[in-house]
Amino acid sequence: MLNYIIKRLIMMIPILLGISFIAFILINLAPSDPAEVALRVNEIMPTPDAIISMRQELGLDQPFFYRYICWLYNAFQLDFGKSFIHRDRLVWDEITRSLGPTLILALSSFIFILLISLIVGILCAIFANSLFDYMIRIIVFVGTAMPSYWLALLLIWFFAGYLDLLPTNGYGTWQNLILPTLTLSFVYIATYIRFIRNNMIENMQDYAIFYARCRGLKGHTIILKHVLVNSLHTTITALGMSIPQLIAGSFVVEYIFSWPGLGRLCITSIMNRDYPIIQAYILIMALLFVSCNFIVDIIHQIIDPRMRERSGS
Amino acid sequence: MHLHSTFLKLIFIILPLCCSSFFSYAKSDITFANFRDIRDLNPHLYSGEMWAQNILYESLVHYNDDGSFTPWLAESWAITNNGKTYTFKLRKDVSFSDGTKFDAHSAKLNWDAILANKVRHTWLEMVRLITAINVIDDYTLQIELAEPYYPFLIEIAVTRPMRFISPNSMIDGGTKSGVKSYIGTGPYILAEHKKDQYAIFTANPNYWGTKPKIDKITMQVIADNQSRLMALEKGEIDLIYGKNMVDADSFERFSALTKFQALMSKPVSSRIVLMNTTKPGLNDVNVRRAIEHIISKDDISQGIFNGSEAPADSLMANNIPYADLKLKPYQYDPKMAVTLLEQAGWLIVKGQEYRQKDGKPFEITLYYDSNTASQKTIAQYMQDEFAQVGLKLNIHGEEEQGYRDRQKAGNFDMVFDISWGMPYDPQSFLSGMKLPVYGDYMAQQGLSEKIKIDTSITKALISTDENERQALYRYVLETLHNQAVYIPLTYERNRAIAIKSLQGIEFAPSQFDIPFDKMYFE
Repeated sequence: MLNYIIKRLIMMIPILLGISFIAFILINLAPSDPAEVALRVNEIMPTPDAIISMRQELGLDQPFFYRYICWLYNAFQLDFGKSFIHRDRLVWDEITRSLGPTLILALSSFIFILLISLIVGILCAIFANSLFDYMIRIIVFVGTAMPSYWLALLLIWFFAGYLDLLPTNGYGTWQNLILPTLTLSFVYIATYIRFIRNNMIENMQDYAIFYARCRGLKGHTIILKHVLVNSLHTTITALGMSIPQLIAGSFVVEYIFSWPGLGRLCITSIMNRDYPIIQAYILIMALLFVSCNFIVDIIHQIIDPRMRERSGS
Repeated sequence: MHLHSTFLKLIFIILPLCCSSFFSYAKSDITFANFRDIRDLNPHLYSGEMWAQNILYESLVHYNDDGSFTPWLAESWAITNNGKTYTFKLRKDVSFSDGTKFDAHSAKLNWDAILANKVRHTWLEMVRLITAINVIDDYTLQIELAEPYYPFLIEIAVTRPMRFISPNSMIDGGTKSGVKSYIGTGPYILAEHKKDQYAIFTANPNYWGTKPKIDKITMQVIADNQSRLMALEKGEIDLIYGKNMVDADSFERFSALTKFQALMSKPVSSRIVLMNTTKPGLNDVNVRRAIEHIISKDDISQGIFNGSEAPADSLMANNIPYADLKLKPYQYDPKMAVTLLEQAGWLIVKGQEYRQKDGKPFEITLYYDSNTASQKTIAQYMQDEFAQVGLKLNIHGEEEQGYRDRQKAGNFDMVFDISWGMPYDPQSFLSGMKLPVYGDYMAQQGLSEKIKIDTSITKALISTDENERQALYRYVLETLHNQAVYIPLTYERNRAIAIKSLQGIEFAPSQFDIPFDKMYFE
């Protein structure tokens, strides 16, 4: 097991280096001159003199590989430089400031997804093809098809406007958290309910379950101990990978609910060609995806002996 | 019994007093929504929100709606040496909000700091022309220019960069590399700021001028248009203010609601389409004139903006200084367009969908910023109008920065553009046409009058004779109109939606300012 962990950790290094290089090369591939954009975004006339001066200020007059090595060296020390657009802001400060709200939103959504999908998924499997199951399937169908910005506006209209129960937007209180969490979770819940339900129904038809019934085991024991546990393997993988997806995919929700998170920071930076922030964002997201993938694999190794045999650990 | 009746009397006396004081209580804090954070409020740089810089920092003179100037931090001024020397007498009762005295020394320190970063301010001709800043005495500041320059007072009156920050806020006596704090002389001070969430401004207790009635301004960042409107409807905010903060449909909806008021300013800037005179097809003035005749500004104004933007007859609205020229507008007249196209040799060929010349069909492309919904709608309308007279117009939406790059490179047939608005129009907008940094410069390259246009703009800026200046501006605007380089579409207006009890909502000469100091609650 320890060998497997070490092997996987070593494999992560070239992956992250490759991603960092691709992220850095973007700056040279982009058609817009970042110095010119920095001037334009700050409403400064991009005259040739101003562009030259801005290129020097941003360090863009240095050779590409020199800049890459410097950036990588500093990035290892968590120093990603300054924003191209807001020269008074450090990239690391911007990332950490925005990461907190996004993590809160992702965590609350994850817990909500886990609870609702498990409960409703199990109930749908137990009462398959009942009225309840049909109702949930309709909601799931609508849920996977509905764009999150539309859902967000509907929720604001209903809970904040019509019922006057919650604030329309903002950050800082638990009331502010409810609507963004509901919006962000909805698509995932819809997906996982279907996932858990289908897996469980499939497992219920297994000979092992038939045998358990013959042995006279109680219904809830069969469902929880045998069917559910066997159905969770694929769900764990999907759920594990949904954590970075929740963090990386929260832009629309953050934008509509004025949530000061990483998604908003990233999209604003893309629009403004703020490369130091984009590069840091890509690297951090890559690290998050690779780490979550690694953790999910380790969990599989722990709970499934067949996986351990396959990987030789 | 006696005690009881005395007690009752007291209640009858005190209760109305309490009620009167209770009912006379007027709200004195305002919450409004902005689409982005206030960012860096260094008054000598450009990345901060202008409305916020405007309530923190002040200028020497104040620019009025009618183009005149009134004293602000300077109580008087004199223009001598044939328009090359400006001498300002400063007020003696002004302090920065940290207690530092505002005088000629701190004023000079500020303007020296601006000039130390000259390369950032070249859009202001005046910065290039300043040769000396002299402190005559503690309250007299003198500026010397290399040449006379009539927009000097306008350029020192605009929100940035010529405003004053406390010397204590400077870093090593300058502001080029940032500032330590945002301390100005203005009616408000920045009390609290949470990046990307909110900013709170409170009234400056030591303000030298008339104290504003609103004690506290809370700005909430709400990026999404619909969320902003819902927050207003729910009562979380009191005011939405700004040109692009409310779409035309929502503006009309709120106008009809009794709880709210919807206000609109006079025209502030022109919404235009720029035609590239160097491109095939468009290099013929008759074709450009024909295109002018197939666009109905009334249809755009009514159909797309619900009448909230007035149809535009010329590049600049009549209320812009020097722009009331009574130019004959290009009326919507497709028959005239057809005649002009035929004169230009673009003929209908049997079996062909579009007009042809020398065997080639007419085909051009209009580029638009894909983030701006109204541009796309206008582009679709124009595409249809073009097709009706046998011209092919492709429309192509692009992300903003790519769209700007295209303009600068001159890689377009037609693009949307906008004038700078008051008080930058006409002088700064026209001055920008001389530099190869905007689409205007590239689009005008096909005109034989281009050199004369540029020299006329330069002469108008340094002319000390009002009549000569008017004649030069007339030449520039008339030539651009006759040569049909711009299609004026509508005149944009600033908009505000607020709760009914908020009074004194006005529009400043600059579309970017919000005059909070005039507002109060009823």
